[in-house]
Amino acid sequence: METDSAATSGWLEPSNNNNELLERVYVKLESVGFRVGKRLAERFAPMSRRLSDTLDIVKFVCKDLWMLLFNRQIDNLKTNHRGVYVLQDNKFKWFLHMSGNNGGAGAARRAQPYIWFPCGIIRGILDGFGISTVVVAETLGLPQCTFQIRVVSDE
Amino acid sequence: MSTTYYFAIVGATDSPLYEAEFGIHRAENTHLHQFVVHAALDLVEDALFLTNACYLKTVDKYNDWNVSAYVTPSNVRLMLLHEARSEDSIRSFFTDCHEFYIKTLMNPFYEPNSPILSQAFDTKINTLAKKYLL
Repeated sequence: METDSAATSGWLEPSNNNNELLERVYVKLESVGFRVGKRLAERFAPMSRRLSDTLDIVKFVCKDLWMLLFNRQIDNLKTNHRGVYVLQDNKFKWFLHMSGNNGGAGAARRAQPYIWFPCGIIRGILDGFGISTVVVAETLGLPQCTFQIRVVSDE
Repeated sequence: MSTTYYFAIVGATDSPLYEAEFGIHRAENTHLHQFVVHAALDLVEDALFLTNACYLKTVDKYNDWNVSAYVTPSNVRLMLLHEARSEDSIRSFFTDCHEFYIKTLMNPFYEPNSPILSQAFDTKINTLAKKYLL
């Protein structure tokens, strides 16, 4: 698989070829995540009542959805009440078995592709509820990772 | 008394995804049923503002017919044109239809908001209609 060969065959040296490869991997993973997220929204949304408030939907992502996917909840949710939400997971499940022998920064960079798929899932879920967003993620040190959701208004 | 029903699924982008008729129906009435149901879509939107529930009961009346609606979390509308009928059976019908719609959505080859052409889906909806409506 492309990601494996990129991660193991010395891609830490920056070069145009590798950047382009990473870009394609990012687009692919994120769009697959988007499709999955869209279906997850319909499948697992509460059937008793509809969620109309964006904050409620983000809370649904933090609690119910993270529980379904990773068996735990988001540790910290921050919002500026103007369309930006920051979700912080301190023990991201897919990072728990990773360790980098050259220290935090190198390992964090190599773990990037693993959070692109959840970014897509989050964006897909919000789109399933009718909210267009841009979702980016970063990790400051395994196993912590932070997702930032920015609501894009159509105007 | 002849009982006729017209059922339609309208996607989030307002395109029709599926339609079916149950009970005794005459071909010339189909267009009228379609028209009445789709004209009721605006009233569905109004009703959505007032409640958080998925089942919206009867949103519109036309002569003898009632139009009931059910809205899924992703804004897909299930509409049923019917004569007077108990709300509970219609609610159960809608809930089961929603379940089948979710199953259709789980199919990775099905593109959301595209017409549902599966024969199996058609058969299942007809079975539900026999169970709850006829």
